[in-house]
Amino acid sequence: MIRSIAHPQNRAWHRTHLTRHRRAWVIMTGIILATALLVVLGYFSGVAWPTLGNAVFHTTYRLILAYGIALALGVSIALLVGWSPFSDALFPVFDILQNVPSFALIPFFIFFFGFTDQMVILFAVSSIIWPILFAVLTSIKGAHKDLGDAATIFGARGLRRIPFYLAPLSFPAMLTGSIVGIAIGWEAVIGAEIIVNISGFGAFIKTASVSGINQATIAGMLVIIIIVFVINRMVWAPLLAESAKRYAE
Amino acid sequence: MALVLSRVSARFTDEEKRSISALEDISFSIPEGDFVSIIGPSGAGKSTLMRVILDLMPLTSGTIVRKYEKPAMVFQNYALFPWLTALDNVAFGLRMERVSREEREHIAREKLKEVGLAHLEKHYPSMLSGGQRQRVGLARALAISPDFLIMDEPFSNLDTITVEALKTDLLKIWRTYGMTILMVNHLIPDAIELSDEIIVMSAHPGRVQETMAINLPRPRDTRTERFFKEVDYLTEVIRTVS
Repeated sequence: MIRSIAHPQNRAWHRTHLTRHRRAWVIMTGIILATALLVVLGYFSGVAWPTLGNAVFHTTYRLILAYGIALALGVSIALLVGWSPFSDALFPVFDILQNVPSFALIPFFIFFFGFTDQMVILFAVSSIIWPILFAVLTSIKGAHKDLGDAATIFGARGLRRIPFYLAPLSFPAMLTGSIVGIAIGWEAVIGAEIIVNISGFGAFIKTASVSGINQATIAGMLVIIIIVFVINRMVWAPLLAESAKRYAE
Repeated sequence: MALVLSRVSARFTDEEKRSISALEDISFSIPEGDFVSIIGPSGAGKSTLMRVILDLMPLTSGTIVRKYEKPAMVFQNYALFPWLTALDNVAFGLRMERVSREEREHIAREKLKEVGLAHLEKHYPSMLSGGQRQRVGLARALAISPDFLIMDEPFSNLDTITVEALKTDLLKIWRTYGMTILMVNHLIPDAIELSDEIIVMSAHPGRVQETMAINLPRPRDTRTERFFKEVDYLTEVIRTVS
């Protein structure tokens, strides 16, 4: 439907995007081939692959769950604040809150939730939520006044303003906020796993490093890089491409 | 009367938190079905006045009597929703009125056809030219069957050929729909060509300087001596208030 792009700016963007896309795949194919070669040559013979797989699975599912909660909460709060007349007053409050380093709060999470899955997930939520919330809120506050006026005049008033105007308006910001949030989320989940020593990739690399099995650490890192790349290429890249085309000025 | 403003004043707070008077003692009325233009120098508060009339901004004092039921607006910068196709943009107001999908798409298609863009219904705003975007904006306004249409400098970002075509279409639409139109315009010949009445505003703060009836017969010939006399007179008035 929107493949027949007539706009020259879009064509230029499309070319740049394709180049980047190809470059990313070339780099990633190199990493995957290098990993496969190391496996074939027996470099990773000492690695407990089922343990690593289990650890990566735990970390990934915690991250996905934390992201889902942070996305729902962050977007809802941002939309409600952006919609309310108090957004100007609340913005600085959120600004202060997001500057509090997440890891400084980890004792509170441990106190309330113990050394559990919930603790790691909720701790990650507290890290992922801010980039999403701020990106959405900033996009709402920065929207052209005319666009908001058009929404009002043509009937997007009251609570209907949220699904029909504010939510679609902030979609590209939600996307970029999510990408940053997920990156922070990996750190938060792995960091929390290391600190509380709960099963997961964090605990895996901690154990691997302590016992000096470097192959296991390297294998773990390669697996995470491949997962990050696959998520990026399969989820974020197509969504970003669609958003850039659709939301172009 | 479709609209009556009586001693309307409005203030706004600037970025340095100073209270600025944007409009002062604005009084005028617009008869139903008339085409009225507002012209004035930059800073005359023309766009602010449009926002006050549409209740998008509070007035500080005075009264506004709105006799119309369904207003619509066409914007200088189009203000189309970038995430919606041309068809969905046109249908937006109807969707807010909870008109069924089938019916609103039928109406939206009709309106796009009316402004000559039936073939571009699946295009997003970024894929349209300025003139095409403004036509979508006009179709979006017409789709809700307004009885009062506000147009805020709708031609200012467009080339001359597009403006000429749009003016012709606009006059045709105005005659067909019989709605009241209030247009902010910065081009004197365009205002005279289109309007029954022109309100001239002065700046800082915005005040009504003069109200001028245009009694030239329609369709208007823009190359007659009478037309040029009106242009000269209005140019002189604008010069004195600038």
